[in-house]
Amino acid sequence: MRFITMDVTKCVVCRNCEYACSFQQTGDFRREDSNIRVEYYDDVKICLPLTCMHCDDSWCLEICPASAITRNVKTGAIEINSERCAGCKMCILACPFGNIHFDKINMVSRKCNLCEGEPNCVSFCISGALQYTESKNSYQNNRQIFQRFIENL
Amino acid sequence: MQVVIIGNSAAGLSGLEAFRKKDQSSSVTIVTREGEVPYSKVLLPYYLLGKIPYANLFTRDKNYYARLNAKCITGNVVKLLPEQQAVLLESGTLLPYDKLLIATGSSPVKPPIPGLSGKGIYHLWTLADVENLAPYYNKGKRVVVLGSGFVSLQGAWAALSRGLDVSVIELMDRIMPRVLDDHAAALLATRMIKSGVDLRINTFTREIERTGDEKLVLHFKNGKSLTSDFIIVGTGVRPNIEFTAGTGLKIDAGIVVNKQMETTLPGVYAAGDVAQVPSASGGDPVVHALWPTAIETGSIAGTAMASGNSRYRGSLNMNVTQMFDITVASMGEFMDIEGSESWTDENLPEDQYLKIVLKDGVPIGAICAGGSELISTLGMLRPLIREKVQLQGNPGMLKALLASNIAQHQQTFIKQ
Ligand SMILES: Cc1cc2nc3c(=O)[nH]c(=O)nc-3n(C[C@H](O)[C@H](O)[C@H](O)COP(=O)(O)OP(=O)(O)OC[C@H]3O[C@@H](n4cnc5c(N)ncnc54)[C@H](O)[C@@H]3O)c2cc1C
Repeated sequence: MRFITMDVTKCVVCRNCEYACSFQQTGDFRREDSNIRVEYYDDVKICLPLTCMHCDDSWCLEICPASAITRNVKTGAIEINSERCAGCKMCILACPFGNIHFDKINMVSRKCNLCEGEPNCVSFCISGALQYTESKNSYQNNRQIFQRFIENL
Repeated sequence: MQVVIIGNSAAGLSGLEAFRKKDQSSSVTIVTREGEVPYSKVLLPYYLLGKIPYANLFTRDKNYYARLNAKCITGNVVKLLPEQQAVLLESGTLLPYDKLLIATGSSPVKPPIPGLSGKGIYHLWTLADVENLAPYYNKGKRVVVLGSGFVSLQGAWAALSRGLDVSVIELMDRIMPRVLDDHAAALLATRMIKSGVDLRINTFTREIERTGDEKLVLHFKNGKSLTSDFIIVGTGVRPNIEFTAGTGLKIDAGIVVNKQMETTLPGVYAAGDVAQVPSASGGDPVVHALWPTAIETGSIAGTAMASGNSRYRGSLNMNVTQMFDITVASMGEFMDIEGSESWTDENLPEDQYLKIVLKDGVPIGAICAGGSELISTLGMLRPLIREKVQLQGNPGMLKALLASNIAQHQQTFIKQ
C-alpha cells in the first residue's frame, strides 16, 4: 500500500499540510482541525510532521469498543467511522504516537484517512518533506521504531 | 477439537477471533445468556445520552459467526463439569469441550440497603438494564445515582445532558476513588457541581421508601432525605463465577490464570472481567475489569487454546472519559506511592492537570484532567510504562524526546 512518509530534515514548518488537511476535513482552515500536526521544538531545532502510520496491527482498531475503526480495503488506511464513533476516546489513549485527535464539535475521534488515496497534505507540501509512496511494509515496524526511540532516550 | 466459549462480549469474541487466526477447522460454540448479536457495554451510556442510536450498540453483524465458522447459542451456563469436560446449560443441554474459555464478565452488586430493589431501581451494566433505564431518561425526571465510580458518573452525565435532575451519592469523601487521584477528582467534582449535579459525598444511605405516587425516597444517615423517580446503583461488581462452584477451580478476586490465561483446571481458560490476570507492573495479579484488558486477555487465551505461542505482558489499567465538559484519564500507578516521585506539568492552566509518576526514573503511571490533547501524552507514555524504560530528562519534554528520536531514526521512516 502507499503511505505518507515524512522527512523531518526537509520540513520547514510552513504548516501548509495542516491547513490543507483542515480544509479537506471541514472546508475551513483551522489548524486544530488538522489530522496531521507539525510540532516544532525550537531548543533542539527539530520539526516533526506527525500523522497516522496506519499500523499493521493497529491497537486503536483492536480496542475500539464501538467497532468504529476499520481498514479501508482500497487504500489500506485505518479509518474512523464518525457515524459509529461514540467519542469514548479510548483510541486516543491507545495510540502510542499521539496521532488520533478529538473533534470537539462532533464529539468524535478523528485521524488521517489518506483522503481516499490522494492525501491533501502531501499535495500541498512545499518542501517535499511529505511523500505518498508505495512500500511493502511501511510502518509495519513503527512499533520497532518506537522501541528504538525508547532505547535511545 | 471441540471448543466452547462462554460469553460473546469483549473477551469471548477477542478469544474467538485470535483462535481462528491459528485454527480454522476445530468446531467452536459460543454460549451467551444475552442476545446472540453482540453489543458493547462501553457504548451504553452514549445511547442513554442520545449520542448514538440503538442499532449502533451492536458491534458485529448477523453473518459474523458464520464468517468465523462458529456457532452461537443462547443459554445460561449453570454448571461446569470438569471431569466430564462439559458445561451444563439451564435448559439441560450438555456441551462437551476439549478447550473451554470462560469469558463471563462481571455483574454489579447491591449494597444491603433496605428497600433497594424493585421498579425504578436499576444498574447500568447490561443492555437489559439500559432498556429499563431508557424510558426514565426524559427531561424533568429526577435520578439519584448511588456511587461515584466511572460507570455511575457516566450514567449521571448522560442524565444531566438529557435535562434530568441528577444527584450523586458517595459514601466516601471524594469521587472516583479507583480511577482518579485527589486532585483530578476535585477538578471533576468542581465541573460536575458547576454543571448542576447535586453531589453529596460522605453520605450513607440508610433506607429507601416508596411513596404512593411511585416515587422513591432515600433516607440518609445524616438525617436528610431525597425524593427521586429512579435510582441507578453503581456500587461495585463481582466476577460471574457461580457456575464454577464445587469444581476446585482456583479463585481469588477472580478466576486465577497464568500468562497463557490457563486456569487451574485442564483445558479451561479464563479472560476478561472474570479473570485475575498478571499485572503490567509485575506486582500482584489484578482484576482490572476494563475493556482493553478484556480484549488483550481474550486474544491471549484464543491463541493459547489453538496451541499458539502467547504470553501476556500483564494488564495495564487505563481509563479515559469525557464528561461534564472535562476529559479525565489515568494509566498504571497514578497514585503517589512509597518510593515514587511525581512530575506535574506546571505550565498548564489551573483547571488542567497532568501528572507522571516515576520510580527510579521509570514512569509507572500518569493521570490527567482537562483537554483531549493530554490523553495523547498518556498514550505516548504507555509503551514506556510497559517496557519500564527510564525517562531521562524532563518528562515535560516527552513530545520533544519522541521527536528527536524519530529525527534520529528518520531513515527508517523514509526508506521503506
Ligand atoms: C456502562 C459501562 C461503561 C463502561 N465503560 C468502559 C470504558 O469506558 N472503558 C473501559 O475500559 N471499560 C469500560 N467498561 C467495562 C467493560 O465494558 C468491561 O471491562 C468489558 O465489557 C469486559 O468484557 P468481558 O467480555 O470480560 O465481559 P462482559 O462484557 O461482561 O461479557 C460477559 C459475557 O458473558 C455472558 N455470560 C455471563 N455469564 C454467563 C452464563 N452463566 N452463561 C452464559 N453466558 C454468560 C454474558 O451474556 C456476556 O456475553 C464499561 C462497562 C459498563 C457496564
